[in-house]
Amino acid sequence: MKKNLLFEIGTEELPPSCIREGVSGLKKILEDKLTENRLEFEDIQAYCSPRRLVTVVRGLGELQKSKIKTVTGPRLKVAFDKEGNPTRAAEGFAKSLNMKVSDLEEIEIEGRGLYLGKRIIEKGGKAVDILPDILKGTILNLTFSKQMTWADYDIKFARPIRWILALYDDEIIKFSIANLNSGNVTFGHRTLHPEPIAIKDAGSYFKLLQDKGKVIADDVKRKELILNQIGKLEEKEWKGNYRVVLDENLLNDVVNLVEIPNTIVGNFPGEFLYIPKELLVEAIQHHQKYFAVLDKSGNVSTKFLIVQNGIRDNDEIKKGNEKVLKARLSDAAFFYEEDRKHDFNYWTNKLKGVIFFSNLGSMYDKALRLKKVSAYIAGLSGCSGLYEKDDVSSYLAAASMLCKCDLVTNMVVEFPALQGVVGRQYAREKGEKSEVSKAIFEHYFPRFAADILPSTDVGLILSIADKIDTITGMFLAGKMPSGSEDPFALRRKASGIVLSILKGKYDFDLTDLISYNQNLYQKSFDFKGINDLKISAEIKDFIIARYRFLLEKKGKRLDILESILGSGCCSILDIDLRYKTMEEFIGSEDIKKISFPMIRCKNIIDKKEFEEVDEELFKEEYEKRLFSSVNKKEKAIKDLMCKKNYASVLAELYEFGEIVDLFFDKVLVMDKDKKVRSNRVNLIKKAVDLYLMLADFSRLAVESGSNI
Amino acid sequence: MNFQDIIFNLQKYWSDNGCIIKQPMDLEKGAGTFNPDTFLRCLGPEPWNVAYVEPSRRPTDGRYGENPFRTQFFYQFQVLLKPSPDDAIELYLGSLKSLGINLKLHDIRFVEDDWQSPTIGAAGLGWEIWVDGMEITQFTYFQQMGGLALKPVSAEITYGLERIAMYLQDKDNFWDLKWSDDITYGELHLESEKQWSVYNFEVASVSMLLDLFKKYEDEFERVIDRGLIFVGCEYVLKCSHIFNLLDAREAISVAERTSYIARVRNLAKKLCSLYLKKREELGYPLLKKE
Repeated sequence: MKKNLLFEIGTEELPPSCIREGVSGLKKILEDKLTENRLEFEDIQAYCSPRRLVTVVRGLGELQKSKIKTVTGPRLKVAFDKEGNPTRAAEGFAKSLNMKVSDLEEIEIEGRGLYLGKRIIEKGGKAVDILPDILKGTILNLTFSKQMTWADYDIKFARPIRWILALYDDEIIKFSIANLNSGNVTFGHRTLHPEPIAIKDAGSYFKLLQDKGKVIADDVKRKELILNQIGKLEEKEWKGNYRVVLDENLLNDVVNLVEIPNTIVGNFPGEFLYIPKELLVEAIQHHQKYFAVLDKSGNVSTKFLIVQNGIRDNDEIKKGNEKVLKARLSDAAFFYEEDRKHDFNYWTNKLKGVIFFSNLGSMYDKALRLKKVSAYIAGLSGCSGLYEKDDVSSYLAAASMLCKCDLVTNMVVEFPALQGVVGRQYAREKGEKSEVSKAIFEHYFPRFAADILPSTDVGLILSIADKIDTITGMFLAGKMPSGSEDPFALRRKASGIVLSILKGKYDFDLTDLISYNQNLYQKSFDFKGINDLKISAEIKDFIIARYRFLLEKKGKRLDILESILGSGCCSILDIDLRYKTMEEFIGSEDIKKISFPMIRCKNIIDKKEFEEVDEELFKEEYEKRLFSSVNKKEKAIKDLMCKKNYASVLAELYEFGEIVDLFFDKVLVMDKDKKVRSNRVNLIKKAVDLYLMLADFSRLAVESGSNI
Repeated sequence: MNFQDIIFNLQKYWSDNGCIIKQPMDLEKGAGTFNPDTFLRCLGPEPWNVAYVEPSRRPTDGRYGENPFRTQFFYQFQVLLKPSPDDAIELYLGSLKSLGINLKLHDIRFVEDDWQSPTIGAAGLGWEIWVDGMEITQFTYFQQMGGLALKPVSAEITYGLERIAMYLQDKDNFWDLKWSDDITYGELHLESEKQWSVYNFEVASVSMLLDLFKKYEDEFERVIDRGLIFVGCEYVLKCSHIFNLLDAREAISVAERTSYIARVRNLAKKLCSLYLKKREELGYPLLKKE
């Protein structure tokens, strides 16, 4: 028979981030343990509220699945004598199993031969006998990024565990942990129903907890409820005249800050409405987790939403929250007013006292580097003459010095999420050009996966400069990411560089930029025992790896990328252009016509030093032909490469393949005359170099079944 | 309920629940945590249940008396329960009831607040507790002090007395709070709040403070060499307060800030391990009482 298992870990109030970790960890660990123990179930779901992590396993079988255990004794040869009678070894083995030899069977152990043995069906144990260990182990294995201990117990959890409910339909799964025994009792809302609630049957838990305990243990339901309450306000009460700012992160936190949500509307004095919109919204959301409300024209209104924990009819709750928000806003206004007394000179100067990273100088040093690095990028020939445009270069110079200034403003110190936003706001107020203020905001883009990119050249280049500077610095300081550890989010920054380069269509060699940036660091700081070239190659590979990751995510062929990288190309934009061209070519033409001749050539090259080809040493017609073709193609392909006309390069190489094939068909490279032979290898090397201008086609994966 | 009645009430409540009631320490400090009755007593295996009022100073929080509830001087009511009892939160909620707060009619919230005091190498996990949005208490399970892991763990409950009073008296700022029937909090503290804000932000002599920091640091080493732990404790507190004043004067760059914090933390670490050693030598006297 199948039953339902209900497992609730009752805790003191868990922080929202721990609830998210806990609920996914709980489900995964329990699911794994059930599977490991051969307990079958139909469905497993996890739920949560601030004071409980819950899993429900539906249709959990009462018995473990049986298991076939194979026992083997002596080799078959040893088990029976020549007449086929069982030996003493066989008898002994049978006895040890309490069986007769005739009950046993032949068992083949792979690679070792035939043995005398028996497949024994082990009947599964009862779920109720195994579940105590499984549930206890689940709690012990559940870890959080921030854990604590309490009293003098040895157990760790996100917050103290106060009760454990474990019911298999109506039967308690009994176990103990720290000072607690599992039982069938849960607790309702902390203040609205603090008394214990006995649960008779797993199936009645959610309803009883809600009706009696005033708790909705299902976070999805709580979220729906909040959204419904907000929707009602917007449509019915406000008739579409006001709209709630629904920040997804805030909403997810609020869902896990209450056990039963109840949304009420408060008001704050209009005197704070002069604070710029984004700053005001953050001041409403940040500490108190209120929702801001906009009026029809998109301005912040004096309304705000409070999601209280529990349904009570008491106007004092609203009044209390209004009082608190008023004080929070007067604090924000104080910071804003204080900031307004200063200018960018003051803040720039203050940056000197802010460490960028230990041994990498101050944020002021970083700003100076950003000015140089961004000018360098804009000045590169592949950046379509941006530097010649006076405005771009002067905007970049200004924005790079100003973009970190808001870090030392009171507003950002108080509301860190406003970095960039405050900088843009203050730049506007101080009369900076809109391109500059925009770039100050946008240079942080992309801030998370799938975030937008800067919208202007100034923003894009500053964003690239900022990110390459951080990556270079961190690599120099030995803080490169390893495995899943990436505390400085360098991978995301590198992805940002790739995306910004592609968006701005900036064609430049990454290694040039990295060396330039690295030089700036090394002029100012001492990095003992650093191998410059090795580090810059590592950084380049690190960034290209993000491009590879982008391709991978789209399910693209990585061997095409590897072949392009074989050419030594280090410009993301150029790599991307080659990729697209090759991909298209492969879609319509037979790439083997290019790759196979190249592989034939590569296979011949057996030395590392090459001399000029000597025409005097030619003996065969087809080597003369190849030589003249190599020369012609070299000129043509070089020309096309300059124009980045890669489709035509491929067409040239396609044609060239026939000449190469003819050469190999007609000419035996391994001539008896060493000089002739060496001259031919020199010629073939020239042919290989021709291919390598675009890509190393030998790295392309070919479909199975093809022969080279 | 008058400000002073809140204090009487909490003292009675916690005394009824097994705490000894101590008096504040006669030294500047940023919080009740710095009082050796918490700072040192939370270390080691001896049980310890204490409650006391602690006048506290945080120079950078001064607002010249213009912010309704941010000031450089305020009162904390501090409770330390070691080991943390299983019903610590229920005990705490009981104290709110004793102050006349109807828990069923108000929105009591436990909002994550992981507390750290890098200057004394202390860390804990817990909450700030809100009543109708107003933060009135910090509740922390101490995990570390002076860089040492704590076992058993203590529960620290720190009431912001002014905020509770604001809430209970339905006032919008500290200054209008009734201290007693006849006198307001503002009459007692507003003028000094203004003067201290001016001093902390504008007047305090940076050179004197830098000099004092060094001298107190040296004195710590001298007394600690003689095994005078409780004396050393006061020099750690003095260094910590001087550092806070320098911070308010913006006399310390961010780079130097880290190194100043590390200097105070080193003193605190030394102090804590010496205290533990001393208690062990004494045979943990409070343990024997049980």
